[in-house]
Amino acid sequence: MKFSLNFLKQFVEITIPAKELANKLTLAGLEIESLKKVSDDWVFDAEVTTNRYDWLSLLGVAQEAAAVLGKKVKINYPKIKIRPSLTDISVLVEDKKDCPYYLARVIEGIKVAPSPDWLKKLVVNCGMASVNNIVDITNYCMLKWGNPLHAFDRDKIEGDIRIRRAKEKEEFIGIDQKRRILSKENLIIADSKKTIALAGVMGAKNTEVTPSTENIFLEAAKFSPVTVRRSRRHLGLDTESSYRFERRVSEFFVSYASQEATDLIEELAKGKNPKFKEIGKKTEKQPKDIIIKLSEMKNYLGTDFKVGKVKKILESLNFKIKKATTDKIKVKPALSRLDIEREVDVYEEFARIYGYDRIKAKIPFLKKSQKNFSVLGKEEKFWEFKNKIRSFVSLSGFSEIITYSIENNQELSLFTEKRGPKLKNPLRRQEDSLRPVLLLGMVKAAKHNLNRGKSGLKFFEIADTYQEDKNSVKEKPFLSLGISGKKTKFFLLKGQVLEILNYLNITTVQFKESKKKSLGNALEVIVKGKVIGFLGKINKKEKGRLGLKEDLFISELDLRLLEKYKRDKKFKPFSRFPAVGRDISLAIEEKIKFKEVRKIIEEEGEYLVDLAVIDSYQSKELPKGYFAFTLRLFYQSKLKTLNSNEVDDYHNKIREKLDKKTGIILR
Amino acid sequence: MAAEIKKIKNNFQKDLENAKNSGSLKKLKIKYLGRKSKISELFSNIPNLAKQERGYWGKELNILKNQISAAIEARLAEKNQQEERMDLTYPARLPDKGSSHILSSVTSDICLIFKELGFHIISGDEVEDEWHNFSALNIPLEHPSRDAFDTFYLDLSKKNQKSGDWLLRSHTSPSQIRMMQKLTPPLAVVSPGRVYRPDVVDATHSFMFYQIEGFAVGENLSFADLKGVLLHFAKQFFSQKVQLRFRPHFFPFTEPSAEVDVSCVICGGNQAEGEGRCSVCKGKGWLEILGCGMIHPNVLEACGIDSNKYQGFAFGMGVDRIVMQKYQINDIRLFYENDLNFLKQFPI
Repeated sequence: MKFSLNFLKQFVEITIPAKELANKLTLAGLEIESLKKVSDDWVFDAEVTTNRYDWLSLLGVAQEAAAVLGKKVKINYPKIKIRPSLTDISVLVEDKKDCPYYLARVIEGIKVAPSPDWLKKLVVNCGMASVNNIVDITNYCMLKWGNPLHAFDRDKIEGDIRIRRAKEKEEFIGIDQKRRILSKENLIIADSKKTIALAGVMGAKNTEVTPSTENIFLEAAKFSPVTVRRSRRHLGLDTESSYRFERRVSEFFVSYASQEATDLIEELAKGKNPKFKEIGKKTEKQPKDIIIKLSEMKNYLGTDFKVGKVKKILESLNFKIKKATTDKIKVKPALSRLDIEREVDVYEEFARIYGYDRIKAKIPFLKKSQKNFSVLGKEEKFWEFKNKIRSFVSLSGFSEIITYSIENNQELSLFTEKRGPKLKNPLRRQEDSLRPVLLLGMVKAAKHNLNRGKSGLKFFEIADTYQEDKNSVKEKPFLSLGISGKKTKFFLLKGQVLEILNYLNITTVQFKESKKKSLGNALEVIVKGKVIGFLGKINKKEKGRLGLKEDLFISELDLRLLEKYKRDKKFKPFSRFPAVGRDISLAIEEKIKFKEVRKIIEEEGEYLVDLAVIDSYQSKELPKGYFAFTLRLFYQSKLKTLNSNEVDDYHNKIREKLDKKTGIILR
Repeated sequence: MAAEIKKIKNNFQKDLENAKNSGSLKKLKIKYLGRKSKISELFSNIPNLAKQERGYWGKELNILKNQISAAIEARLAEKNQQEERMDLTYPARLPDKGSSHILSSVTSDICLIFKELGFHIISGDEVEDEWHNFSALNIPLEHPSRDAFDTFYLDLSKKNQKSGDWLLRSHTSPSQIRMMQKLTPPLAVVSPGRVYRPDVVDATHSFMFYQIEGFAVGENLSFADLKGVLLHFAKQFFSQKVQLRFRPHFFPFTEPSAEVDVSCVICGGNQAEGEGRCSVCKGKGWLEILGCGMIHPNVLEACGIDSNKYQGFAFGMGVDRIVMQKYQINDIRLFYENDLNFLKQFPI
């Protein structure tokens, strides 16, 4: 909210520079976001928190300024005149809940003209446009008291006033000239023939005050905050008026606001014969008395102070001290402070004026209970586990990515049969579901980088996946890995998966060939009969459709299951004698799987401790459909150094067995 | 004999100059010092000399032998060094290293600072319900205070009968509620994670971002303790030199509430105007980093905690914003775009 320093000075004496006042108000909780000098005035732009409806009035701000400056507020309350009564127009309120109180005045013979300079300046310096004397006066009173007012052209009102909900699809053209379609969410002011205002939000064009207006109907009211909120949200419309009604306006000030506007219209616009009518009751309760105990407040704030200080500060906020002993104070909050409901609210009032900076920081000793330790400790272990995986995988050369949990349902369905929970109110249609798998995010991150000339990517992400489960949503944290590049990178990914499992000492892993959506080449990772994840290659077709410039290999592993199956490491004795390597070059027919070759080799392997593919290639010298590679076999004994002849013997046996198998050619 | 020695010296000098590499030097060693060398031959001739000359020529030959040996060794060492020499100005070859995302490494750093003080680290669920996200936190359903928490709702096949509609949490505070419901004080927990708000993505908004929530409940925890905990955090995370400013604010779930500013980490709280104005804090000297306060008794009561016996504090911070301030990152989208040029700037 914007307010002018000169306006403020009408109610409280201010002798310090504007900048200093801004700082003091900020440190009391009325944050001044910007401060600007405008000729002989200063414009303050304040962020008013939603609890402080009183700060949406100059009088509320003045009260605050008085408290931080140690001054008194001076307010001249206008004398309320309720005679003569307004009788030639009746006002009917359909539902008192929507509008508990309505105050109308009709003022005759007015002369619409530009406002005098002083009024113009104050209104403009409070961030509003100067329109004419009538509108400016209503705005001036709203700014001062916090109660929005609206002036209608009396002669354009046909018949009586009704305050009711709009009909479905009813049309409304506001003073901003825009056409809006209303619904039952909107509370309106209507005459016998038409809608003349969106209650608490905006007046209609059809009854607007114009230069030719002679008589006006002045509205002051209390509309339900929830009703105004729903109404303006439904239309996506936010005005100075709705802003205040939504946050609550003071019933105690509504009569003063209306009276002062009437007085000013008489004075500045030659208005005559004001007539008065009120409908409903001021039902608002007064703030309750609150008893605070000083010892408790000290314990709460963690600082020490004297009872006199507390009394002084509360009084500076216009709170009434009804009773005070050395430890107890009975206090009645200011009339416009219905937000003060409990002891802690009073503590805050004291603390913010006393100064948060005067409360000395200290570091607590945080106690723990055995039960909490075991419950929380278990969850904390999982957090640490995720961190360990993160550093292990990043140290393996992978870069961590963070991708959105919200994705497009259709795109997701290309990769998985699982359905992610749908959003009721997506921001954009492209992002309408929570993801049940991570891999789409991986694909997008890869594509972004491949399109920018990067290649050979190695990415990972640790994030939750989501699936609807009975009556709720099951969140499962997963690790995803992605590698881009040549076909053989599949095996790098497979190796990385094995490295992670090995790091966790999960040794009983099986890979099972399977088919997944968009992943023709895929393996399921199985531990103790349970599928804990998969790895696979994005199909050519999807690769093309997604516009990926390299093949992409993706794995996902269930982190809860990894944590479940991980085992502590145990030292394994190792051979002290050297290992000897021997190579075999061979070609195999495509239909023979490597695991068959491995089986033949391992059957013979008394001293065989390891085998590795050190080269693989395709060659024109080979028969059609054959693929060649070189294996290096390692031999080692636990008991002695193997000599060359012994190793050759074992190695030759293996060669002979391989040679006998059809589809395998030794080279 | 003298002539022989001189001749050997001259020949050796020429041979040494001609020796191009360590191999030819090794050959020279054999030629001049080996068993079949001229020097050996002369040594074996010594007994044939006159008795009084033997000692003299013996010494001369030894001197010659040592000189040649030393010369060869010296040249050999020189050659060896030359042959091994590499061009050390070649560019470095970088190892294939990965990286942790700056948001997760900073999240972890921050949580560990609080862990030192005795907080437990828990990651809560992201799918929540209205009760845990709003009502239990003293946020009325139809109130302007909810505007700060625009929320994504979920469309599940079955309605949540008990606690209002399902939604994606718009802050990490519901995990505070869950912990307080489940456990009895004393309690101290920090809870990091993703949160969601339907904000159109631009340089400062993202519909998904990271928060860290922290709270402690005990019998005597005070506002002073809250200040101490946050000051410790700021000094550990930013630098020992930073200061904090606690500004009164309003959050429905805390009372008293405060927003906390840190003295600008870039200009040091200089508050310069005009030319020298700091671009990060815009000359204000302070950067807002988090919200905090004493947990509202309504919140404790909603979780079944006796607010007469227990009191506590809570705080919440946006990780994205803090990282942007600390590392001078000007666009939040960089975090979620995953460009390697960005990721690689913050290795592990």
